[in-house]
Amino acid sequence: MKNILLISVLVLMTTLQADAFCGFYVARADAKLFNKTSQVILVRNGERTTITMSSDFQGNVKDFAMVIPVPTVLQREDIRVVNRSIFDQFDAYSGPRLVEYHDQAPCNRYLYDDVVMSKTTTAKNAAAEMSTREEADEYKVAVIARYTVDEYDIEILSAKESDGLERWLNDHGYKIPDGAREVLEPYIKSNMKFFVVKVNLEEQQRLGNQLLRPIQISFNSPKFMLPIRLGMANGEGNQDMIIYAFSQKGRVETTNYRTVQMPTDKNVPTFVKDYFGQFYTSLYKENIRKEGYNNVYLEYAWDLSGQNQVKCDPCPSAPPLYAEIAESGVNWLQTNRGNGYTGQLYFTRLHVTYNRNDFPQDLVFQETSNRAQFQCRYILNHPAQYVENCAEWANYQDEKIQSRRKELRELASLTGWDVRRYRDYPNYFQGYRAPQPRGQRTGWIEEPTIPNNKNISPKPKIMSTPPDKIETAQINPIEISDSITTISQAEFIIDEEKESKREETKIPFAMIALTAITGLFLIHRIKS
Amino acid sequence: MEFAFALHLSPKIINMLTYLRSGLLAALQSFPKDARHYQISFLLIFLFTGIFSLKWPIDPPQIFLTFLVALGVQSFGIYFLKLPISSLKSSFISSLSLCLLFRCDQYIIIGLAAFISIASKFIFRAQDKHFFNPANIGICATMLFTGQGWISPGQWGSDGLWLFVVGILGFLVVTKANRLELAISFLVGYGGAQIIRMYFYQGWPADALTHLFTNGALLLFTFFMITDPASTPKHKTVRIIWALAVGLLAFYLQTYKWVNGSPIWALFLLSPLTPLLDYLFKGEKFHWTKPIHDTSSSQLFAKTRDYHPSIK
Repeated sequence: MKNILLISVLVLMTTLQADAFCGFYVARADAKLFNKTSQVILVRNGERTTITMSSDFQGNVKDFAMVIPVPTVLQREDIRVVNRSIFDQFDAYSGPRLVEYHDQAPCNRYLYDDVVMSKTTTAKNAAAEMSTREEADEYKVAVIARYTVDEYDIEILSAKESDGLERWLNDHGYKIPDGAREVLEPYIKSNMKFFVVKVNLEEQQRLGNQLLRPIQISFNSPKFMLPIRLGMANGEGNQDMIIYAFSQKGRVETTNYRTVQMPTDKNVPTFVKDYFGQFYTSLYKENIRKEGYNNVYLEYAWDLSGQNQVKCDPCPSAPPLYAEIAESGVNWLQTNRGNGYTGQLYFTRLHVTYNRNDFPQDLVFQETSNRAQFQCRYILNHPAQYVENCAEWANYQDEKIQSRRKELRELASLTGWDVRRYRDYPNYFQGYRAPQPRGQRTGWIEEPTIPNNKNISPKPKIMSTPPDKIETAQINPIEISDSITTISQAEFIIDEEKESKREETKIPFAMIALTAITGLFLIHRIKS
Repeated sequence: MEFAFALHLSPKIINMLTYLRSGLLAALQSFPKDARHYQISFLLIFLFTGIFSLKWPIDPPQIFLTFLVALGVQSFGIYFLKLPISSLKSSFISSLSLCLLFRCDQYIIIGLAAFISIASKFIFRAQDKHFFNPANIGICATMLFTGQGWISPGQWGSDGLWLFVVGILGFLVVTKANRLELAISFLVGYGGAQIIRMYFYQGWPADALTHLFTNGALLLFTFFMITDPASTPKHKTVRIIWALAVGLLAFYLQTYKWVNGSPIWALFLLSPLTPLLDYLFKGEKFHWTKPIHDTSSSQLFAKTRDYHPSIK
């Protein structure tokens, strides 16, 4: 039997009748797959939902397959294969951004600059191949439809019981993880269909695509949700998912989990520029540690309507063009020549780090009428160029030292880094004049001295998040100045801590609460 | 008061302090007499938790506007309809509920919701009582008519802590108002149906259910909205059946119609039944405060006078 490894990834979902539809990646052979960050585009228009799924499937291309529960039998025209670049485009557009400002010198006019940098979560891709298929009656599994869409072969299955489906998958060469049966059961009971996506090697070669392209499905359903449970079937570990949601109405938020805004508009030390990737990763980890592991985080929300001229501010990359928006499934805009369009459009970017314990339910969304804009923006303030014979400089220097101290404190509270190692930072900037005893004033520190490499490496102080809680995001290449070197990911030492303890406290707590309420009720009854 | 004498304050100041003290005592003693006092304090706690700990997207002007409009409309009612001043407490509660449940980024919509909430108390009346929960109709009608605003059932997150805190505090309020059966029968209707469907039929793991029942929004609704004694049926048995029906309708809306914040909509849909049920089944009219004799102000004053040395 072909030994197939099931890799959980994001599980996507559509919905019709009953519950979720979710998917998991299935691999053939013993390929070690790595599937941590997935990206999803959700488009909601009335009751029509379009979901585009992409995952950073890394592994042997031949070992890829995906099982996705769907609420309804999808027609051939409901399934498309889209261009991968739209994900990169949306990611670059909506990622957290760093803005830098240059102070004006107190006595002189200087250039005012505004540089933008953004952190993207580039997802990698791989390709795959699929196995043979047969129909089988004794499994109580029926193959309802078969399509070949570009390089994918798609089968839609209907199952009566989870045992049968599990055996069918096993007998057809998919190795299902142990936990999968319990996860499949609710979906089967809700009359969900399952579709199996495989790569048609001949088609793939004919089309010449080396990478797996995202699959897009559309369906009509009042439900607006994303099933993530199937992706967690094989248990351990955390997965990251970035959701790009388009809607006519406004912001999209989750209704069964809290949607929390990431910290934004914070002044951070200038050296963060060279570590922006690490900075944001640490910030995200620290933030979910503070706010809770079972939340969904808002990273970006913007009105992209045709009439809104300011599609981002600042823009780390060009705002999405009509072609890209249409490719992701938005079909209600009217285009005028070129890449312009008219019509209502609202874009939301959500980030969720999920695992089995913290996310017992699938993600359920709602469109709200909230059109307030939000972005993750972090600000660098560069000190002014030193000017000689400037009476104001002393005051400016004092203020600057204060504000740079504040930046360090902010950095510590945002990321949990130990900032004591940067204690020279507030004083080290061009033109800084060290307070010295009277009569000994010698001069300025001419060069902008920055703490040496060792001091500056951002080793996090405490990280109670397990290492795979968040997949460290890739950083855009940034020019590295001579005085600072970037640190490698290996230098990120993360203390694995008692993450599991936290999980266990939840249910006993709920039980205590129930007991207390029951007790109170009884006391009340007896009294009266 | 002894310290006041020890300080050799003038008799005027001592008198003032005595009055102040008696006023505080009266306030303290009347606090447990009215369930609304509990409700206001607990809802305030929840609102502060939401703003400072859960970081809800609600700004002070929104809260201020809600209170301004709601209390303003209620004052109108007090002036023209000769309502008791203490009815301001009820609109205070309605405003707090609106701040807790209703979200909108437009001030005019927020004002409208507050207006509908309180105005509904004077418009939708039958048999000498209003039959819509004010905050409930404020939210639902505004969303229906304007398409703006939303309910965020997820804003509380799901945590055993909510079951504990909201459960205990809600229990205090509900027993005080004698409406425990409403909370319980709603939970039986809604929760029972969910448990049967999710746990026994579909085979969801138990923690999916825990997640559902520790949702702050559901608990808040159970203990602070459906248990409103003023707008629910008067007859006890009828009340129990009615709350069961609300629970089942909420279950149906959420499961099959995919409505967010379904308990709130279920209550909105079934509230108009209240006058009919009241007509068919007579019951006692609810009074927030029972007649008080033992703590009349004269007696309080009599007590405080004991402290005056000249009387001693």
